Amino acid sequence: MKTIMITSGIFLHPATWFIVGALLLPLAKKLNLQKALLIAIPVMAFIQIYALPENFGTVHYLGFDLIFGHKDKLTFVFLHVFTLMAIIGCIYGLKVEETEQHIAAFLYVAGSLGVTLAGDYLTIFIFWELMAFASTFLVLFRKKKRSTEAGFRYLLVHVAGGLILLAGIFLRYQNVHDLTFHRILVEGATVADYLILVGFALNAAVPPIHAWLPDAYPEATVAGAVFMCAFTTKTAVYVLARAFPGFEVLMWAGAIMTLYGAGYATIENDGRRILAYHIISQVGYMVCAVGIGTEMAINGACAHAYAHILYKALLFMGVGSVLQMTGKSRLSELGGLYKYMPISLILTVIGGISISGFPLTSGFVSKSMIVEAAGQHHQLAVMLMLLGAAVGTFLSVGLKLPYFIWYGGRQSDFEAQDPPWNMQLGMAIAAFMCIFIGCNPDYLYNMLPFPVDYKPYFGYHVSESLQMFAFTGLGFYLLIKKLTPKRHPVMDAIRAPLTAAPNVHHPTGPLINLDFDWFYRKGARVFMWIANNPLNALNEFVSNVYQNIGCRMTMAIAKASSWFDWNGIDGAIDGSARGVVALGDKTRMHVTGNLQHYIGGSVAGVFVILAIVIFT
Amino acid sequence: MEKFLIANTLSYPILSMIMIVPVIGALITLFLKNDTVLKAWGFIVTVVTMVISFPLYSAFDSSTPKYQFAELRTWFPSVNLDYVVGVDGISVLLVLLTTFVMPLCILCSWNYIKVRMKEFIFVTLLMEAAMIGVFVSLNTVLFYIFWEGMLVPMYLLIAVWGGARRDYASIKFFLYTFVGSIFLLVAVIALYVTTGTFFIPALMEHSYSMTYQLLVFLSFALSFAIKMPVYPLHTWLPAAHVEAPTAGSVILASILLKMGGYGFLRFCLPLAPNATMVCIPYMIAISVVSIIIGGYLALGQTDIKKLIAYSSVAHMGFVTLGIFLLSSTGIKGAMLQMINHGITTGALFICVGIIYERTHSREIKDNSALGMQMPIYVTFLAIFSLSSFGFPGTNSFVSEFMVLIAAFAKYPLVGAASIIGAIMAAAYMLRLLQKMIWADSDGHAHHAGHGDAHGEGHAAEHHLFDLNLREIGTLGFLMFFVFWVGFNPKPLLNMMGSSVDHLLQQVETGVQKGSLDKVSQVVRVKTEGR
Repeated sequence: MKTIMITSGIFLHPATWFIVGALLLPLAKKLNLQKALLIAIPVMAFIQIYALPENFGTVHYLGFDLIFGHKDKLTFVFLHVFTLMAIIGCIYGLKVEETEQHIAAFLYVAGSLGVTLAGDYLTIFIFWELMAFASTFLVLFRKKKRSTEAGFRYLLVHVAGGLILLAGIFLRYQNVHDLTFHRILVEGATVADYLILVGFALNAAVPPIHAWLPDAYPEATVAGAVFMCAFTTKTAVYVLARAFPGFEVLMWAGAIMTLYGAGYATIENDGRRILAYHIISQVGYMVCAVGIGTEMAINGACAHAYAHILYKALLFMGVGSVLQMTGKSRLSELGGLYKYMPISLILTVIGGISISGFPLTSGFVSKSMIVEAAGQHHQLAVMLMLLGAAVGTFLSVGLKLPYFIWYGGRQSDFEAQDPPWNMQLGMAIAAFMCIFIGCNPDYLYNMLPFPVDYKPYFGYHVSESLQMFAFTGLGFYLLIKKLTPKRHPVMDAIRAPLTAAPNVHHPTGPLINLDFDWFYRKGARVFMWIANNPLNALNEFVSNVYQNIGCRMTMAIAKASSWFDWNGIDGAIDGSARGVVALGDKTRMHVTGNLQHYIGGSVAGVFVILAIVIFT
Repeated sequence: MEKFLIANTLSYPILSMIMIVPVIGALITLFLKNDTVLKAWGFIVTVVTMVISFPLYSAFDSSTPKYQFAELRTWFPSVNLDYVVGVDGISVLLVLLTTFVMPLCILCSWNYIKVRMKEFIFVTLLMEAAMIGVFVSLNTVLFYIFWEGMLVPMYLLIAVWGGARRDYASIKFFLYTFVGSIFLLVAVIALYVTTGTFFIPALMEHSYSMTYQLLVFLSFALSFAIKMPVYPLHTWLPAAHVEAPTAGSVILASILLKMGGYGFLRFCLPLAPNATMVCIPYMIAISVVSIIIGGYLALGQTDIKKLIAYSSVAHMGFVTLGIFLLSSTGIKGAMLQMINHGITTGALFICVGIIYERTHSREIKDNSALGMQMPIYVTFLAIFSLSSFGFPGTNSFVSEFMVLIAAFAKYPLVGAASIIGAIMAAAYMLRLLQKMIWADSDGHAHHAGHGDAHGEGHAAEHHLFDLNLREIGTLGFLMFFVFWVGFNPKPLLNMMGSSVDHLLQQVETGVQKGSLDKVSQVVRVKTEGR
């Protein structure tokens, strides 16, 4: 396939398309053009990425250089899959009426593209936060109580992660006075770099800071989850791949992640939660590859990211369709849908085998590159862990998930049907891409950053995969009773009992799997106790001081001044006035009109004056 | 004479005209009968005066400290007494303030004054002529004549058209101010006896001995301090303001109080510079006391008019502070504060008058929850209250800021104390706003209805009418100035600039002359031929 370079000379940052789209959506809704805009914007952005130059959009701001556009092959492969995913996601969510969901999705994609194209840390941070806030709304817009709570936790975790990232950025600036985003070498890595690593790793859902993912993704909206599964984690993989290739801690963390995610996915009940844990597993492959750091490993990480976005989105779309049409996503409440939703079944199974790495699917050509890289790097333990995770993957997502949703050995009492055409189209495009890449891997390999000399279709590899599939399938069949999702006894009693076949086993037992989010919830309770009791008491004290000493004293002084004004000063003045009046009164008495009095008074006065003059 | 004066070059003798036009208008009112005709005539005359006085702003030369638009006519040659009037940077803005505020006084009394409209217009117009005379006269005798001439019309305004305790308030005002004026007269005569001239700029050229200066300063200062007023000579102010009609309060607050500041700047500082230097600590102390205690006094009031009256005490404290800091910023800030106080407090008194016309009560508790019924009114009230405590963007912010800068530059503690006063201004004005605009915490709206005096009432029964066009025009006119000066004080500050610098120069040279002579200057006493 030849890539067509559109050298028109006019280009926009792809994120701009989505931001403008988000601003235009309310207007488009009014004009009944929402659907058209939803298709147009991602398509424009997809075409746009072919026309971007190497470096563009450098802005000087407050003494910093913000580089909005830094493109190379590593960037391009991610841009390609992100915009493609945006098209698929928008098609899938075409019939969603609420504009706000689309606005959130667009801004989310804009953030992701912004991070991918960013050339400096500040730009990364800006778009990082945009992603966090926009994706929170994708959770919140489901408008159920659990979604609201999950969304709140999601936001808190991501803001905390953003702050750790920001701290790392600040410290890094203090150390090296340079914020350009490029590879960091292991030998010179400081605390600042590790903080940045932790910030990136949180978005990549590396345990132990991963619990937000299985907490929030099952609670998101149907279409929103499709977006969410694609962007946050893969953007984190991109930034890790650019900045921290070769950090061994990532290799081990990634390897543990794969087993961790696959293990939890196997024991979970909710379909989307299985997929969410599974994201952790698959991202673990990518993180491990970044940690290995060789050219083939980075190639593998990119290829895997590309393929993973497509088939994970396909799986989420499939389970999302079931959720949309039946209102349920828990395996224990579903079953027997093969009659009603066959197309969803087929497409989801394609996704399932793709994710497991069946030959002729995209997983086969991408995942194995990572394993091969691990082998070439002489990390035997890592190789085995990754292979073990592949088993778990096939078991949980390839077998358990479709089986218990569409078969499950019992008849369900609800009618369902295949989802609307747009959802099926979205799934079909993703499934097509999965198979297309599997059959024609060079399409993907040509986009990879480093030259590829890996041929996936060779004998050993194919036979190894088929063996793995066969024995996992056997294991599934043997362990099916253990794997059957547990039912909730109380909920069963509430709902009408299903017409179940009498010999089907209904296991019961513990129903919640504890993960690291236990720490969040308990920690939150401790924090609230501190806020309510000691801090509140301090607040009360300060408020009382203001009230008692501040206000009352001021008013007391005011009243006292007023009193002094009225009685003191005016008392003196009015008193003098009254004194004058009184004096006048007394003097008035002397005006008798009697001439003798006047003469007598004058004579007396003369005598007094003479006496004074003579004797002084 | 040319040394000090720039003769009037306009086509008409502007300063004499703006004094004569109101007098002629007053004489004509004696022949008019109908109330509406009288009110209209009064409004027309004051507007004409305002229009005539506009060249004082447009044709004023900001570059010279000389007295402009000057007119000189011989009057009593035997005693060297001439009719000489002129304005400089210090007085021109006060004259403009007078001519611009007077039409508003007539407007706000449209429905307020119910009896003796003819006498009211007559007295008001004469008052305007006298006030302008105070600001423009360059002759101590002329100054004294107009100074005294203001007292009687003001007394009549309070005594005839005032509130319940108008007898007490009017006499108190008159006697208080009159006592000060007596000492003013003594100083005027003493100055004539020692120098042989009444002409103010010539008086400034002489230098006097320290004792003499002190006596002159204290005589003048007593009179001006009573007029300002400074604490503790302020007790006439609450009584006079509360009992006066709205127009009387506006005239009193906007213009009369400024004469004290004007007097300090025109007489005390240039004539007695050494005495000024000696008295600065005391004057600054009194002004800070005025600011702070004025604030406390205002905080404790329940009568709205009294609250605003005490706030005037605090604001004029800033003026005195600015004057006696003896720096360019300080004096310019003080003068701008005088203008701004005239605008803002005049507007606040008009607001009180408006609500008094409706509820017939000045108590805060009878005028609460007005926001629901009179939204336009409370908007104006809020804007003028914000201006009163110096909210940025309004006029008082600029002037208070300048005074505070000058205070902090010289005496940081004084500045800190004044800030406390400014905070208290915010406290009592916001408290007033809160109680007047919104309902009490018990949820009831309290306002007295038309004619009845009981406090409790349901809002639905007593419907208060919002502002009519006349009232909106009055308040809008003032609001324009609030924001114009607030955002663009430069024109006004430029007008004051050279006169203030000249004044500081005079004080400077006077102080140097006084300290160079160890022996007191020989005081020429004319003992013969008087």
